[in-house]
Amino acid sequence: MAATFLGYPRADGSVGVRNQVAVISIMDNCNPVTRAICQAVDGTIAVTTLFVRGQYGHDLEVAFNTLAGMGRNPNVAAVLLVGLEEGTTEEVARRIRPTGKPLEAINLQPHGTINAVAEGTRRAMKLVIAASSLRRVSTPMSALTVGVECGGSDTTSGLTCNPTIGAMSDRLIDDGGSVIISETSEFLGAEHLFAARAVDATVSKAFVDAVLRLEKEAVSRGMDIRGTNPTQDNIRGGLTTIEEKALGAMAKAGTRPLSSVLTYGEAPAKKGLHFMDAPAPAVENLTAFAAAGCQLIFFGTGVGNPIGNMVVPTVKVCGNVNTLRTMADNIDFDASSILEAGAKASALGDGLYEYAAAVASGTRTSSEVLDVRETAISRFAPTI
Amino acid sequence: MPRAIVLDRGDNVATLIDAGGAGEACLLQGETGGEVLLREAVPFGHKICIRATAAGAEILKYGQVIGRAARALAVGEHAHIHNIESARGRGDRKES
Repeated sequence: MAATFLGYPRADGSVGVRNQVAVISIMDNCNPVTRAICQAVDGTIAVTTLFVRGQYGHDLEVAFNTLAGMGRNPNVAAVLLVGLEEGTTEEVARRIRPTGKPLEAINLQPHGTINAVAEGTRRAMKLVIAASSLRRVSTPMSALTVGVECGGSDTTSGLTCNPTIGAMSDRLIDDGGSVIISETSEFLGAEHLFAARAVDATVSKAFVDAVLRLEKEAVSRGMDIRGTNPTQDNIRGGLTTIEEKALGAMAKAGTRPLSSVLTYGEAPAKKGLHFMDAPAPAVENLTAFAAAGCQLIFFGTGVGNPIGNMVVPTVKVCGNVNTLRTMADNIDFDASSILEAGAKASALGDGLYEYAAAVASGTRTSSEVLDVRETAISRFAPTI
Repeated sequence: MPRAIVLDRGDNVATLIDAGGAGEACLLQGETGGEVLLREAVPFGHKICIRATAAGAEILKYGQVIGRAARALAVGEHAHIHNIESARGRGDRKES
């Protein structure tokens, strides 16, 4: 039984499943230097971002909190911030400092590109060498918070990969861990079933309000969301309506009670199952999971979506026999025996739970090895 | 013989887990059994109507409403965006 994994204990009491040095851009104009440093230093990950410059108010707060959240993530051993100037860099730095992890910053002003890359490379090298002296220790599964996602969905998703992920989620919650489901638009038509699982009326209302707010927004713009959600590839995969997609998507969250509703990138304050109100597209949704402190992500796919997250190992689960043949490179866990051999999702969920412990202990995923990873922070207002 | 999964006894659509050809018999599995004659070719993963459904009636899968019939559906017909309409997020219809 997989009740433990081997993880990296952090100063703040959290436990990482990876031990990377994150080089984080404070804004888009820093990305070239971030990439150059990561190219030069093994053991680093490049956390790049678009925009930030010109953002303001709530939209800017989300950006700073999300960048900092990725730095605080337990999978990150140490952080090197790459900023343009010290004021905005400090906005992110001060949000990471309470974790007590090694934190360095380099600004392009006044050093210029060549000196910033040189100095950043020197500091990243030292951080990687220091991080490499850390060792994994046996850790209870309760230390894990996992994000559950689906993308490139089709009708097999609601029958195979998502129920498998749901069964794994139930196991983790029963062992004292946490699970976050998100993708607000993908509850349209299933929200009544999920709301009924809320621990109290306040949580239930907060969840339903988030879903209805999103629907109202789409309707107020006078638009038909069909073609965007379900997407064109969802429709080719047999999904007809958002309601059908939502009913299949919800299976990822298993059957346990909904304990809280989180904002974009917000870390849960307690154990159990949580809903995060955030846009559905995978890259920005996985980025929110990373900022919330998830150490692993389980990503169900039908017609195939290869993308993973930079900070959080992303396990691709698929039960479509055709996709398993054509996109085998991008799938980590095969759930096709549900339709092909009458296997039970609960049995596959047990297998996926053991695999979760293996990945948490160091087994690498396809999207890590192929570096099929991207970062995007959602935008909530136009740039000024 | 192509197979189709029925997820709830009340459902009027089933999901094919093999591609099916026009005129082929399709085996129903899951919550109900029997066979349905396919009226047209249906791709892997797409749905068929398994109970005659009137225009405007609810389409049920998982025992839940996934939309409404945009026109009458006959048993064995491909059930998809050409004959089923979503009821949610429809700003184009100015309904709430």
